[in-house]
Amino acid sequence: MNRRKSTNRLKPVAPARVPVVRSRTGMRAWREQHLYSLFSSLGRLVARPWATALTLAVMSLAMALPLLFWLLLDNARQLGGSVEDARALSVFLKPDMDAAVVQAFARTVRERTDVAAVEVKTPDQGLAEFRGQSGFADALKVLHYNPLPAVLIVTPRSDALAVDAAPALVAELQRDPAVDLVQYDAQWRQRLNAILALTARVAMVLAGLLGMAALLVVGNTVRLDIQGRSDEIAVMQLLGANDGFVRRPFLYTGFWYGAFAGVLSLVLIGIVEWALAAPLAQLAASYEHRFDVHGLALADMGIVLGAGALLGWLGAWLAASRHIALGQPQ
Amino acid sequence: MIRFDLVGKRYPSGHEALAELSFELAAGEMAFVTGHSGAGKSTLLKLVALLERPSRGQITVNGQNLNHTRRRGIPQVRRGIGMVFQDHRLLLDRSVFDNVALPLVIAGMAREEIGKRVRAALDKVGLLAREQAAPIALSTGEQQRVGIARAIVAKPPLLIADEPTGNLDPQLSAEVMALFGEFQQVGTTVLVASHDLALVKRMGKRVLVLDHGRLIDDFRPVA
Repeated sequence: MNRRKSTNRLKPVAPARVPVVRSRTGMRAWREQHLYSLFSSLGRLVARPWATALTLAVMSLAMALPLLFWLLLDNARQLGGSVEDARALSVFLKPDMDAAVVQAFARTVRERTDVAAVEVKTPDQGLAEFRGQSGFADALKVLHYNPLPAVLIVTPRSDALAVDAAPALVAELQRDPAVDLVQYDAQWRQRLNAILALTARVAMVLAGLLGMAALLVVGNTVRLDIQGRSDEIAVMQLLGANDGFVRRPFLYTGFWYGAFAGVLSLVLIGIVEWALAAPLAQLAASYEHRFDVHGLALADMGIVLGAGALLGWLGAWLAASRHIALGQPQ
Repeated sequence: MIRFDLVGKRYPSGHEALAELSFELAAGEMAFVTGHSGAGKSTLLKLVALLERPSRGQITVNGQNLNHTRRRGIPQVRRGIGMVFQDHRLLLDRSVFDNVALPLVIAGMAREEIGKRVRAALDKVGLLAREQAAPIALSTGEQQRVGIARAIVAKPPLLIADEPTGNLDPQLSAEVMALFGEFQQVGTTVLVASHDLALVKRMGKRVLVLDHGRLIDDFRPVA
C-alpha cells in the first residue's frame, strides 16, 4: 500500500528496496523479532522476581504432584511384575498323607487337559525352604516334627488362564478330598493389577486437572500482564500490528513460565526422591531387593520440560487471543 | 484517497455521532475537519482508520472499501495511514528512536533499513539529536514531533491527525501545521481535525465544517 504511489515518498528518505531483497531481509527481520521477543520476555520476568517466583511455584507444584503420583505407580507396577510365578496354583494337600498317595494324586492332576505341569514339594523340601528364609531357622528348631503338608505346584495351561478357566480349575481341585487348600496367586495379582489400573487412571485424571490449573495460572498471569500493557498494545494496533505481532511477546512469556515451572517441578521431585531415598532403600532391602526404586529417566525429564513449555504457551495463547480481540472492531 | 458515501455512525449508547456524511478527498490533497467539540471530528477520523465501523454508508480509503475489510485485514489498512494524536501516544518505556521505529518493526523491515528511515524521519522533524532520549525528557512540542515522525516514517500515502496542536502554544502549533503542509508538498494526503479556527484559516486549505454530525460547509480556498 505504501509502495503504490512513488510520489508519496518524503524527500530525504532512501527509496525502498526491490521486492526480491525485501523477502530475504523480511525473513531475517522475522527471525530477529522472534529472538528479540524471546529474550525481552525473559527480561520482563526477571524484572519482577517475586511475582514470577509465585507463579512458578504454583505451576511447578501443579506439575510435580501428578508426576510424583505417576512415579509411585511406576515403581509399584514393578512390584507386581516381579511375581513371575503368579500363574501357578499352590495346592496344599491334607497333612500326613503318604508319599506314594501324594505321587498318585499328582499323576491324576497332571493328566487333566487344563494343566500344563505339576511339581511335587514334599514336606521335607518345604521345611528346607523355610529354613533357608531368614529368621525362620531358629523358630523351626523348637519343632519336634515336620508340620508341613505336601504341596503341589500346579501350572495351568495358558489357554486355561483365560478369565473363567483358572477359577474353574481352582474350584475342582478345592473339592477333592485330598486337598486342604488351594492358593491362587493370580487372584491376588488380578486384584493388584486392578488397583494399579485404578491408580493409573486417578493419576491421569489428577494430571489433567492439575494441568488445567497450570494452564489457568499462566493464563491469568498473562492476562494481568496484558492489562498492564494495554496502552502499548493499543498503540501497536493503531500502527498496524496484526494479532500475531501483539501476541508474540506474551506467548514467549508463557513459554518461559512453563519451561521454568518444568525445571522447578523436576527439582521438587528430586527433593522428594532424596527425602524418601533412605526409608525406600530399607523397604527394598526387606524385600530382598526383588524391586529397586527408580526415579525419572532422562527422557521423562525432557518430556516434563516440553509439556511445561507447551502448557505455558497454550495458556498464554488463550489469554492473549481473547484480550487482543476485545480491542478491535469486528 | 478518502471517499465517504452517506456515512452514519450511531454509538450503542444511542448517540448519533455522524449522519449522512458525504465527501471526497483527492490523493495529495490537504483538508481540515473542524467544528465544535462533539461535532463528530474524532469519529470521522476513527472511521477512516477503522478504529470504528460505520453504522451506515460506504467508506473508501486508498481505493479499498472499508466495509469489505474483515478484522484480519485491519492491520494492513492501518499500515497505509500515518496517525497523529493530540496526546501523541508514545511508549514511555522506549527511546525516541524505538518509538519512531515501531511502525517499521511491525511491518517486518530489516534492522539496517529501519535505522536509515528512522533517522531520516527524525531529521525531518528536527529531532535527530534526541534519538536516544526518553520521550518523558522531551518538551510537549518535541513529543508531538516524535509522534509525527512515527506517523510518517513508513511513508504512508495518507496522514491523519486528531487535534495535533491541542496541547501546544500558538507558535508550536503553527510549526506543527507547517510540517503537515510540507508533507502535502511531497504528495501525502493529509486530513487534520482541529477546532483552532484561526490557525486553520491561516493555512489556506480546504475545510470541512461539521455540526452535530452533519457536514454544514465544505470551504475550498480560491486557487
